[in-house]
Amino acid sequence: MARTLAMFTDTSLCIGCRACQVACKQWNELPLEQPEWTGSYQNHAHFTDKTYRLVRFVEKPKENGELAWLLMSDVCKHCAQAGCLEACPTGAIYRTEYGTVNINQDVCNGCRYCVSSCPFGVVAFNHDTGRANKCTFCNDRIHNNLGPACAKTCPTDSIQFGYRDELAAKAEKRVAKLKEMGHKDAQLYGVDTNGPLGGLNAFFLLLDRPSTYNLPEKPLLPQRNVLADSLLSVGSALLVGVGAVMAFRERGGKGGGHA
Amino acid sequence: MTTNLIDIQNSDVIMCTNNMAENHPVGFQWVMKAKERGAKVIHVDPRFTRTSAVADIHVPLRSGTNIAFFGGLMSYAIQNNLYFKDYVVHYTNASFLIDPGFKTATDGGGLFTGLEQTGKGGADPHIAQTYNKSSWKYQVDGDGNPKRDNTLRDPSCVFQLLKRHYSRYTPEMVERVCGIPKAKFVEVAKLYCGNSGPDKTGTITYALNLTQHTNGVQNIRALCMLQILLGNIGRPGGGVTALRGHANVQGATDLELLYHELPGYMAMPLRDVHPDLKTYLEKETPKGGFWVNKPKFFVSLLKAFYGDKATKDNEFGYQWLPKRASADAYSHQHMFVDMYKGRIKGFLADGQNPAVGGPNAKLARAAMQRLDWMVVKDIFITETADVWKTPGTDPKDVKTEVFFLPAAPAAEKDGSLTNTMRLIQWHEKAVNPPGDVTSDAEFFVSLAKRLQKLYAGSKKERDKGFLATSWTYGDNPKEPSMELVLKEVNGFATEEIKDKDGKVVYKKDQALNTFVHMTDDGKTAGGCWIYTGVIVEGPDGKLINKANSRKPADDKDYLGHGWGFSWPANRRIIYNRASADLAGKPWSEKKKLIWWDPAADGATPDKKGKWVGLDVPDFNAFLAPDAKNGDKPFIMRADLVGAFFGPLNDGPFPEHYEPMESPTRNLLSKQQNNPVVKVWQVPDKKNELAPLGSKDYPYVITTYRLTEHHLSGVMSRYLPMLAELHYSHFAEISHELAKEIGLDNGDRITVMTPRGKIHTKAMVTHRLKPFKIDGKTVHQIGVPWHWGWKGVDALPGSKGDITNDLSATVADPTVYIQETKAFMCNVKKGEV
Amino acid sequence: MLRSPEWHMMIVWYFFLGGIAGGAYFTAAIADNFGGKKDRDVIRIGYFLSLLLVVLCGILLILDLGVPTRFLNMMGFFTFWNPMSIGAWMLGVFGLFAFVSSALSLWGSDSMVRFRRIWSLIGTITGFFLASYTGVLLSNSAQPFWSDARVMGALFLASGASTGMAAISLLMYLSGEAAGEGFEKVKRADRFAMIFELLVLALFLALLGSAAAPLTTGHMAPLFWVGLVIVGLVVPLVLDLVGAGLKVPAVVPAVLVLIGGFIMRYVIIMANA
Repeated sequence: MARTLAMFTDTSLCIGCRACQVACKQWNELPLEQPEWTGSYQNHAHFTDKTYRLVRFVEKPKENGELAWLLMSDVCKHCAQAGCLEACPTGAIYRTEYGTVNINQDVCNGCRYCVSSCPFGVVAFNHDTGRANKCTFCNDRIHNNLGPACAKTCPTDSIQFGYRDELAAKAEKRVAKLKEMGHKDAQLYGVDTNGPLGGLNAFFLLLDRPSTYNLPEKPLLPQRNVLADSLLSVGSALLVGVGAVMAFRERGGKGGGHA
Repeated sequence: MTTNLIDIQNSDVIMCTNNMAENHPVGFQWVMKAKERGAKVIHVDPRFTRTSAVADIHVPLRSGTNIAFFGGLMSYAIQNNLYFKDYVVHYTNASFLIDPGFKTATDGGGLFTGLEQTGKGGADPHIAQTYNKSSWKYQVDGDGNPKRDNTLRDPSCVFQLLKRHYSRYTPEMVERVCGIPKAKFVEVAKLYCGNSGPDKTGTITYALNLTQHTNGVQNIRALCMLQILLGNIGRPGGGVTALRGHANVQGATDLELLYHELPGYMAMPLRDVHPDLKTYLEKETPKGGFWVNKPKFFVSLLKAFYGDKATKDNEFGYQWLPKRASADAYSHQHMFVDMYKGRIKGFLADGQNPAVGGPNAKLARAAMQRLDWMVVKDIFITETADVWKTPGTDPKDVKTEVFFLPAAPAAEKDGSLTNTMRLIQWHEKAVNPPGDVTSDAEFFVSLAKRLQKLYAGSKKERDKGFLATSWTYGDNPKEPSMELVLKEVNGFATEEIKDKDGKVVYKKDQALNTFVHMTDDGKTAGGCWIYTGVIVEGPDGKLINKANSRKPADDKDYLGHGWGFSWPANRRIIYNRASADLAGKPWSEKKKLIWWDPAADGATPDKKGKWVGLDVPDFNAFLAPDAKNGDKPFIMRADLVGAFFGPLNDGPFPEHYEPMESPTRNLLSKQQNNPVVKVWQVPDKKNELAPLGSKDYPYVITTYRLTEHHLSGVMSRYLPMLAELHYSHFAEISHELAKEIGLDNGDRITVMTPRGKIHTKAMVTHRLKPFKIDGKTVHQIGVPWHWGWKGVDALPGSKGDITNDLSATVADPTVYIQETKAFMCNVKKGEV
Repeated sequence: MLRSPEWHMMIVWYFFLGGIAGGAYFTAAIADNFGGKKDRDVIRIGYFLSLLLVVLCGILLILDLGVPTRFLNMMGFFTFWNPMSIGAWMLGVFGLFAFVSSALSLWGSDSMVRFRRIWSLIGTITGFFLASYTGVLLSNSAQPFWSDARVMGALFLASGASTGMAAISLLMYLSGEAAGEGFEKVKRADRFAMIFELLVLALFLALLGSAAAPLTTGHMAPLFWVGLVIVGLVVPLVLDLVGAGLKVPAVVPAVLVLIGGFIMRYVIIMANA
């Protein structure tokens, strides 16, 4: 396994210009798409099968009467423990040697279980191709010594690309500096590899709590309960089986009849 | 801009008065870098925008009150001794004494001394009255030099007049006029003015937020005056950050695609004022400052136009040059009013979409529908090209014959772009244009040659000039060589030039290295003197195109002199002499830029001393600080100093006047509007203005741009990837106003002014808030203007109503720019 | 912010029919192993019904895919802890069990019967699996209330039992075999399954707590309470216990249970449509 790559999106540097959205569309040759009315500049409420990078705009009035307009370029988190990958029954969703998560469009059969299993609601179903889509971490670019298109185009370096360990160290320094500068709610999201989902390979610096950005406060791997749920089903089966046996049991001797 | 985008990282405080993050996102990275270094960012804007989102302080200001704001800051700086005294005393005209007959607007009820009625013009103040500037001058001594008081105490000195003029601009007044709470204004004044002096600098950014007003020029003057008051010009992290609104509009103005100037910022001759070359040069050449060289630049320009046909004997072709019949004519707005009145028969729109992009767009479209013919050259079929079938117009009623010629965008042609920091960058053709598509150069050269053929036998005087123009740019009959065009712009020797010792300095046709080598005797040609140096010839005669050089900035050269070419002479920060004190030392080590090195080699082997440093000196490199004029940084001005007192058409000091449509009487004085504002009388009620206090139009409206779209939308609304970034056209409305009208976020609404009405979608937001103007609530809305009826059919939101249908035909008296940033409107729920 | 997998009617039918298939099979297998001669019809109908339905289920699943021809891609992959993955495989394995059990229910010889009984007993595991795994599949996704429903699988299994048994009794009634001990036994088993299902449903709601809102107070609430709980479980149970005196045809409770079972899948899946 090669050294893990990551994207660090520092929302304190984001000016909401949407160059990342356009670069992503252009590089991935994504087709035309109707925007949605969200009541703000944000052109989709959430990711779609044709929008892999989405800039979120959150107006948040502050206690002192001032306004905060939180700008965040959101993307697939490429989780170290990925719900989509665990859900895929065809093996179409795989992890590259760089730690990024990709959906092989030649294998995906469109069952949409991955769509239901992303704690962030990232994966989307493309009704035209019948397959699931999401950010590929510019898979072709990273295999040719280039970074993702969004990182390259970002004019303020809000989106940074590099080795995960180096970016994580940078992020820690950055959040400390922001706190010093007075951003008391500045926090990292997804940096900690001992944290939720084993850490995110596309992690963030937020200026407010995650729920303000419509992110789950503590994302969990959806498949964490398979064993428990299965055991409960087994229990149910046993009880049902016992009930059925009691209903059909012949008094005195068993199974005597011919079919 | 006088400085350089990269240099913004050196600012201690940055005051963005425009929406820089949204409209200059790439340049804005340097503001972010300044923030990393501890700079504070102030954003002054009626709306809370994406710039405000990353600024430290947002200052909400009612549209149209920028002079009140800047005046308030100047007054605050003066009252609280925050100005940079040494800089002000020595590098500006603050100490100069003014004719005692001159009185400021404080004593003139909002007017300066000398306003006279002309007896003409009636309803157009621009013609009906004018300022007699006879008292707007310095007191001079026996030698003709301005009298000065370096203590700045003489009541007639500019500084005291400035103080008197802005004495009305108190923090209380700023609150009443601009709607900025007093405490916030004082906070900002302390922060911005406090970050000045020898080791602090600040820069102010602006764009069309300041220009598109009937007080546009004075808005910018006020900004510049504040900057010289605080000693920020010519220093790292300082300067005036004028942000041009288009990738090459700087190039467009440098090469003067404007009606009133010729390339290199020289006046377009006026027929009656400049009847011959001698008179032109006499009247237009000042007695001091670098413009004393104007004759060299002007004659070289004529040589570039007319080639060998321009000689000493025929005034270098001066008589062939078209002249202006009047100074009050030919601007965009003049042209469309004339077009509507039927005085213009034909029109060529090259890469411009006045059907959408110009003020009073309904009038513009009606005007174009009265033309006999129109040629539209553009990359898409625009609303202008389709004006003959504007929705609501029956094509049968329009007799205009329209020719559409497809144009090549930047990637399909060679050429240069000059950006907001005067940086000329070359781009090479990446792919051939398809089919009939031609570049502008190809079109114009080919058109010129065809016209010359057409007029070949003509004996008419007026055709001689055109027939004399030279269009030789290489051997390809179809495509001109853009590098040869650049060479002509740069300038070259028309014949062999020798120095006084007989040594050949330039071979015939060799590119000039510097505009200093231009002559007024016809030996040099140069299409735009400020560009000289962009292209030079190597020893082998091959052209070295500096606009194409791409050496990135590094620690040794943070300004990146190896990347592109920045006019003039690759100087990145102009007026940089001002970064050093009278003795030639930087004002501080932290803010060093250039300095005098007495030990360096001088101009000749026997002399010593040179200006050195981190930038090309914007100064005679060998002029010692203690030599005559060695302490005067503002070399382009006749008196070589920065001007607080600057005799413009509407006053030597900026004075706050209300926009032509306003929600309030002028609280600063009895003079409601700019006394010499240009207002056109247009037939058929096509330019009605809302009277003061009109109940029909109670809300202030401002129009602006978004990151995702470009100007009239031709470069963005046809491209799905861009067109889909915004759901549709919208108007931003405060929650408070929405509640009053009964609007929900997303409702369809009608916005109307006396010129027209549009239907759009309400975006109700916290980012707009009502103002308290003189104690009364004044609502303001904002509407972007990128939409027109054409776009991507599959994306209905890419099409929308034309915001400019709402704006009026009124103009600043100096440059005739429109007032699209502040006027009045009404908003109704539903599509009325 | 989550995203719906947009599983709609085809998946609702699959869950419903798959539940019946699994339930009918293990009912038949238990009757086969623990019942007597008179249960012959139950057994035969149960096996054949499950075989027919599993084929239908397979078709439904394949058609619901974005790229139906690629269903085979699931056969090139296997992840033990992934309900979707094992589910795809188990559908085929169950089909095999159902086929052999069905075929062998046509033969008479003793050794065939003995083999069939052992085969089917083993096969009950696949039947239980088919009826319940779709619930585990839902509860291990990231969807609202699905992901909180620990007993979804248990509930689906109970419902598979009740609907499987109801389907068998309905078919017996329709084919004129309603009079007979087998019929009574399957109805007795169904009664127990219904009671158990009500209890598991109560536990399901209790464990969900406020997360159950999409079902209990949202726009699905009328269908949930009236369609599933009352019409689909309480009424048939009451009718079954006291209906004989009311002269209600014995088949009515079975039909209501089937309706209830369909509604259960419908409200659960379509609440996250």
